[in-house]
Amino acid sequence: MNKKKEATCKEVMHHICESLGENLNSEKCSAIKAHLEKCSGCQNYFKTVELTIDFYKKYQVELPPDAHTKLMTFLDLNE
Amino acid sequence: MDELQLIEKAKQGDRKAMAELVKRNEQTVYNFAFKICRDRDKAENIMQETFLSMVKSLQQFESQSKLSTWLYRIVANHCLMEARKMQKRQFVTIDDDEELFDEKYIADWSSLPNKTTENEELRTILDASIQKLSPEYRIVFLLRDVEELSTEETAKITRLSVPAVKSRLHRARAFLRREISQALIR
Repeated sequence: MNKKKEATCKEVMHHICESLGENLNSEKCSAIKAHLEKCSGCQNYFKTVELTIDFYKKYQVELPPDAHTKLMTFLDLNE
Repeated sequence: MDELQLIEKAKQGDRKAMAELVKRNEQTVYNFAFKICRDRDKAENIMQETFLSMVKSLQQFESQSKLSTWLYRIVANHCLMEARKMQKRQFVTIDDDEELFDEKYIADWSSLPNKTTENEELRTILDASIQKLSPEYRIVFLLRDVEELSTEETAKITRLSVPAVKSRLHRARAFLRREISQALIR
């Protein structure tokens, strides 16, 4: 990312954060997409925001083995 | 039997239907509670309190929305109540956009393919990063990005305006990305 484009890159970063997961085909996004295609810094930023979200999506925890029984007892829903 | 039929039966006092509703949603509720509080014991307590609220208030549930959306709201409320009990804990402020979007945090993540979320080191980084976020930001990020609810649904659950959800979301994303970057270059 060069200094000359700094302000624009920041705008792109803001926009990526606001619109990720939403419609990137809107008129508003066309300039952003054009910028993204040629700016490696913003491409990297975009990828790392996506990766951040993906990490948290994939970080799952399983219900502890006895939790269901404890829950049913707590709710008085055992058969 | 589909969820709506189960809800109707449970509202009429059918305990088997109520038990089935709990069973179908317990993993989702536990996982979401854990993602907010990052503590297994607390997540289990919040799950119990959430389903107790569901059992007590199912009559008030209007079937136009999904049960899971209603449960997310109950979990979020319980988590926020828990967080208020710990008011002394300091969360970082993320109001400084200049700092959040600083280019020095464009770190090289190219080594990351080796790190899956089964990796303990990465899990520690993810836990530590999200725990610095105040629960108000955390809940928005988790509902919108991780659970993939719409911005409108997230606004409804958190009782925020759509612009407020978007604002919190973009700050939370940028903050978490920066925290992970910093941890990776250490």
